[in-house]
Amino acid sequence: MTDTPTLDPDKIKVILATDCGSTTTKAILIQYVDGGYRQTHRGEAPTTVEKPFADVTMGVVNSVTEIGELAGRKLVGDDGRIITPATDTEGCDIYISTSSAGGGLQMMVAGVIAEMTAASAKRAALGAGSIVMDVIAANDGRRPHEQIQRIRDLRPDMILLSGGTDGGTTDKVVQLAELIAPAKPQPRFGSDYEMPIIYAGNNQAQGSVSEVFSEGGFDLQIVDNLRPVLERENLGPARDKIHDIFLEHVMAQAPGYDKLMGWTGAPIMPTPGAVGDILQTVARIQGINVVGVDIGGATTDVFSVFDETFNRTVSANLGMSYSISNVCAEATMPNVLRWVPFDMDERELRNHVKNKMIRPTTIPQTREALMFEQAVAREALRLAYKQHKEFATTLKGVQQQRTVGDTFTQETGGETIVNNMKLDLLVASGGVLSHAPRMHQTAMLLIDAFEPEGITMLAKDSIFMMPHLGVLASVHPKAAEEVFDRDCLIYLGTCVAAAGNVKAGKTAFSWSFNGHSGEIKGGEMDLIDLPLGETATITINPVRGVDLGAGPGKKVEREIKGGTVGVILDGRGRPLALPEERTACQATIQGWIDSCDMYVEEEATAAV
Amino acid sequence: MRIQAAALLACVLSVTGYAPADIAPPGKVKALNAPDDKGNQVEVYWTPSPNDAVPGAIQGYVIYRHKVETGEGLESIPTEWDPDLFAGSEPIGDVPYGVTEFVDENGEPDTTYLYGVAAVTENEQSSVTLASDLVTPRMEWINKGKIWFLIIMLTISGVLIWFVRHAKKGGEVKVRKIAGLEAVSEAVGRATEMGREVLFVPGILDINDIQTVAGITVLSNVARTSAEYDAQLEVPTARSLVMTTARETVQAAYLGAGRPDAYDENRIYYLTDEQFGYTAGVQGKMVRDKPAACFYMGAFYAESLILAETGNSIGAIQVAGTAMPSQLPFFVAACDYTLIGEEFFAASAYLSGDPEQLGSLKGQDVGKVIATFLLVIGCLLATLAGVSGPEKGSDAEPGAFHTSMQDATDYIKQNILGKEGFMVEADRGSFEETEANTGGGGDQ
Repeated sequence: MTDTPTLDPDKIKVILATDCGSTTTKAILIQYVDGGYRQTHRGEAPTTVEKPFADVTMGVVNSVTEIGELAGRKLVGDDGRIITPATDTEGCDIYISTSSAGGGLQMMVAGVIAEMTAASAKRAALGAGSIVMDVIAANDGRRPHEQIQRIRDLRPDMILLSGGTDGGTTDKVVQLAELIAPAKPQPRFGSDYEMPIIYAGNNQAQGSVSEVFSEGGFDLQIVDNLRPVLERENLGPARDKIHDIFLEHVMAQAPGYDKLMGWTGAPIMPTPGAVGDILQTVARIQGINVVGVDIGGATTDVFSVFDETFNRTVSANLGMSYSISNVCAEATMPNVLRWVPFDMDERELRNHVKNKMIRPTTIPQTREALMFEQAVAREALRLAYKQHKEFATTLKGVQQQRTVGDTFTQETGGETIVNNMKLDLLVASGGVLSHAPRMHQTAMLLIDAFEPEGITMLAKDSIFMMPHLGVLASVHPKAAEEVFDRDCLIYLGTCVAAAGNVKAGKTAFSWSFNGHSGEIKGGEMDLIDLPLGETATITINPVRGVDLGAGPGKKVEREIKGGTVGVILDGRGRPLALPEERTACQATIQGWIDSCDMYVEEEATAAV
Repeated sequence: MRIQAAALLACVLSVTGYAPADIAPPGKVKALNAPDDKGNQVEVYWTPSPNDAVPGAIQGYVIYRHKVETGEGLESIPTEWDPDLFAGSEPIGDVPYGVTEFVDENGEPDTTYLYGVAAVTENEQSSVTLASDLVTPRMEWINKGKIWFLIIMLTISGVLIWFVRHAKKGGEVKVRKIAGLEAVSEAVGRATEMGREVLFVPGILDINDIQTVAGITVLSNVARTSAEYDAQLEVPTARSLVMTTARETVQAAYLGAGRPDAYDENRIYYLTDEQFGYTAGVQGKMVRDKPAACFYMGAFYAESLILAETGNSIGAIQVAGTAMPSQLPFFVAACDYTLIGEEFFAASAYLSGDPEQLGSLKGQDVGKVIATFLLVIGCLLATLAGVSGPEKGSDAEPGAFHTSMQDATDYIKQNILGKEGFMVEADRGSFEETEANTGGGGDQ
């Protein structure tokens, strides 16, 4: 663990945070203004981790200098270091940073049973912000020689080995170690660097595992079992150790990071891990369930916190540029095109997709191209969320306690904990969502892809500030939560969606708030204005069989927040079903687009 | 018995040509091929003897049958009983007075018979009245009385075949998730992680019991999963034949999983046939070795709760499957997952995913839906007929609604579930009605 000076949170008034991405280093300045913390300025500069600069701090200094100029505050000293602590005119009280430069943290995990200890190990690795390259398990269907070959082919930054409950199987864990040791996987960075192995398995197998890795070439670190009993996960020690190794080994190998680590007032975190931390902090403080999504060019990250259980998934092949072909292949072109309200030439579309793949920075030049790209985004988000639901489950291998009343309602372990009806806040980030010409489009993309049920707040992180706030949450949770609420999120509005037996053309629910009232019919949507910053108490009366959160047919009365879009009333039912017939589908989509003012002429030209 | 004795006496008298003149014989006799049979039945009707109207004048009637051979000179039907011609004939049955019909169920298909009927007292017999026509019982290909069964059978068979073909073509055959079978990998995985064994108990009945066979099907899947996870599988049996079958099954499963080397036949063993001796043996094993996963698949009696409670106390994931209704509540309460009745028998199709088996399963489900539908409709109609009828003891005429409900109920009972076929046929229980139904001609 990196030793950092302990700061009194009450004395922190100026906070400087950077996120060193693969291409851009983004910096923000948070200051204590009028009795609260606010994000005041932001700046960015190209990341300089690659040659010819080969020093990440250069990009950091450049972005911070930009902020300093904007804020009229000197942040970088003459020695080229960030000035701490703050005075009235210069410096900051604390400087913090995250990093995903060079592909972020890449890990391989291993466990005895894929659905049990290996799944827990994967959760620990993903939660720490890593990309899981592969999961090796005794029941993964591969022969030992295939597993060894796969381990040899991978070049992870570290390996997390788990398996067995405390006092459980020793043989299988040692067998896994005996697969890894002879494979001698090589780290990505630094030839003199020993491959870190974190062992978080059966405590009675620690000696045997140590013996297997004693031959050299490995840096074995032993932590508490992440699954001491099958009924409980203990991911904290493994996650902490991943962070430590990330700093001590991985970051130390990257150009300039040793210097950067000396500047920061808190350990540098992998960017996705920091995003997860801020979402967990907000969910805990506000007592809500949150889902966050970050759709990038190559991957899509989905984060969720349901009943204080955090999960993160990385859909490695779902993205809007490098992975756009894969999205079209996986979702199939008819599924993509169902979101487009006019006929499109499939050959032209395929060319468009391939062009986007080889020229990832291009943006849509016409309204049609924008619609098509947003259609692809819907499918990418839908598939990523589906994968997330499959991963975010209750623990498997747990003994169930039954009564005779359970005769016909026996549920298996491993059921998803993602429940859209319990979802309170849905946060979007990533180019296609953050930079959509109209916020209405972002809101509709989220609703169509995630299909929230009941009453759900929609928001977007337009400048991707969540990573900064994730690290800040580790030193000053209150400041992080305040900035998250006031400046990080742009509230789009509230989605009120009917779930259950919605019949097309028949009333799904009636609603009233702020003197407005009306009815929503099955298959219809409506948009009601409720400005940003305002709240209202909505009363909803669903018809029999339709659920808005209180149960089928039961009245709901709740406070809702306004936003830049307003209140979106969705009577389409869940799961969302579009007509099979192409013409009818186009007419339906056009109807929804019109109802929600998704595309208007002025905005379409603005997008060009 | 008395009538039979009288008939024998009458037979003796008849073949000797003795025919008392003070008992009048039946008036007319008609013999008809019985409908919807396999060709062995003939229905005989007659008009009663005038003495039948006097109480105690006759005891009943005896029925004669004569097999008509070629060359017996029967170009025309004899009008009177000829003892010489019918020498050797014996009565084939008797009925008490007042009854004017008889069904001969011992005929041979496609054989021509001549029937006769005589009235008898305790020690006398009238002359024999011969049937007006010869009769030849014939087999009918379709029993019209059970035409509804044919329709239902064809429907279910058609649905079954359709689903099988649909599944074979790659069509989706949705079978609902059966938690108990889904949990097999979870239970075996738990045993693997905990470094303990998997215990499989295939019931206490022999291999000829269908539940044991179903249990062995599940054993195959458990063994395959155990082989893949490299978990230790233990199968104590209560019957030697079950042990042999289990060994074969487990060996095949290990081979299929590519782990024949991991198979150890000594882990599949026979304990005892004695119910509680076996239970004690298995229970002791559970307490000593603390298996992490216990499967109870087969026929169980009182030992079900003993085993399941022991498994629960040692913290094992338990999956049970049985078709014993009396044991199901115990399993449900004490086990993690329970396969109930039909779920247990559907295991084979569910686990294999074989299109033929899945299609067959789906077809059978449709059959059950039809049966349930009829049951519900029948109950509904009977209830409506009951509540809409006149009160007991009341002289009021039943209303039209009650009559129609009662008719519908009767139709289900007699036509769909009974032997009446599509339409209610007139009762052919008298000579006159038979005459009317057949237009006076015999069914030869």
